[in-house]
Amino acid sequence: MRSLREYVRLYFMIEAQYIKARMHYRADFIISSIGMFFSSLVTLGVFWVLFESITDLAGWTLQEMVFIYAFYMVAISPMQILFDHIWQLRFQIEDGSFIKYYFRPLNMMFYYMSEMFDIKGIVQLVVGIGLLAYASAQLGIDWTLGNIGLLLAALLGASLVQIAVVVIAACTAFWLIDSWPVLSLSWRVREVAPYPMTIFSGAFRFFFTFVVPVGFIAFYPSQMFLRPGTAPAFVYVAPLVGVLLFVLMYRVWARGVNSWSGTGS
Amino acid sequence: MRKYLALGKGSFMIGMVYRFGFIATIAGNILYMVIAFYLWTSVYEGQEVLNGLTFDQTFLYVALASTVFILFNTYVDWIMSYEIRQGTITNYLVKPIDHQLAMLSFGCGRTILNVLIVTLPTAVLLTLVFGVAIQFGVGLLLFPVSLGLAFLVSFSIDYSIGLSGFYTESIWGLVTVKETLILALSGALIPLQFFPEGLQNALLWLPFAAIYHTPLMMITQPDQDLAVLLERLGLQVFWVGSLFILSRLFYNRAIKVLRIAGG
Repeated sequence: MRSLREYVRLYFMIEAQYIKARMHYRADFIISSIGMFFSSLVTLGVFWVLFESITDLAGWTLQEMVFIYAFYMVAISPMQILFDHIWQLRFQIEDGSFIKYYFRPLNMMFYYMSEMFDIKGIVQLVVGIGLLAYASAQLGIDWTLGNIGLLLAALLGASLVQIAVVVIAACTAFWLIDSWPVLSLSWRVREVAPYPMTIFSGAFRFFFTFVVPVGFIAFYPSQMFLRPGTAPAFVYVAPLVGVLLFVLMYRVWARGVNSWSGTGS
Repeated sequence: MRKYLALGKGSFMIGMVYRFGFIATIAGNILYMVIAFYLWTSVYEGQEVLNGLTFDQTFLYVALASTVFILFNTYVDWIMSYEIRQGTITNYLVKPIDHQLAMLSFGCGRTILNVLIVTLPTAVLLTLVFGVAIQFGVGLLLFPVSLGLAFLVSFSIDYSIGLSGFYTESIWGLVTVKETLILALSGALIPLQFFPEGLQNALLWLPFAAIYHTPLMMITQPDQDLAVLLERLGLQVFWVGSLFILSRLFYNRAIKVLRIAGG
């Protein structure tokens, strides 16, 4: 078993080579970054136009919505940047090339995910952090040391929720081969995340809270900072939800990896 | 004409192969409509009319917009960039086929498939589950014409993006920028009536509004002044004509940079 330090060192070595290779296609990187920049801001544009006609959405002001959206952007970035390779899984299962990941003395998930590092996702992360700073300044949120610690824990937990939802969906490829319908839905379901869960009626709110818990990607954890006095108690376990889901995701992955019988070629 | 029909039919058949993918598309569309339904219910809380639209009209507009987005998604830009990279675009150069019309036939085949598999089920869902009622008026008669013109505008933009494959390796960024611009400025995500007055007037003149706002306006507010409807239709015709010609000129230019090493 290798130590965590060794893995971190290895990760930086692999990614350094990967980035060098990608930088041969500089124009591609610039255009993709511009695309990422615009696409990550389009929902925010919708909020902005919407608030021309209303003063609040289910009791949430535009500034608060911007905060939730910025939280969402930061929370979905680790999935985009570090776990982007998962999109290839179904092709590699289908043509059998996934077999190569069994032959290295490394953690398989680590080895698999390290093969891709999505540079343009950093644009999303940076814009998200900028927006988060802007919105919290507008809202006058008091960033004490404790609060910052809580924010980091909340963001980590939320990003684990996003990663778990998508990776579990992708892992269905081990049994279904063509996981596209499940995967694409799991990707789209996060569009729910930047909206106040309170706008949904009972059954849907239950679904987005307990079944596919996208409410924990942004709305619930944000309440710790937006309405610290009145937030329901369960939002404080949001970081824990992420950890639990991540563990669940890892078990699904491990089970899939062990049950896959290859293609025989 | 027969050769283009064959191409369209081919693209229809290719689409059929991936019919399981459509389950995801339909489910994704339903998810979007659920979000839109609750979002707009919340927005209309305590208000009958916003910016001249009732809840029913706005919801119909937004739900149809996302359906039209799927309808017009023909992958022509991706296919073109792939064919340029692979060099198989030469197949069109050595045959008596017009490239733009060939791609258009391809797009049409795909769109007809989309109508059958996505649009019709969605329409049934909208009327049965969400209980959306459509008003009657002359706009309803013009809607199919307007939708057809909208498709041609959307196709011409996709075709131009596909041609940029002659200049750049990966078109992911360009496609994303295009989609984002269209979604944001056309009324696809939020009716143009909700935009601030000055911006709204400017956006109405752009080709993006000709893709979503114009046909959607005809079906959500069909009892409007006929002169207004015809004026919008005229502008659509203008955009179809100019974008069609512009993308053709672009093709004539772009094809000259093509270098294919062997085969």
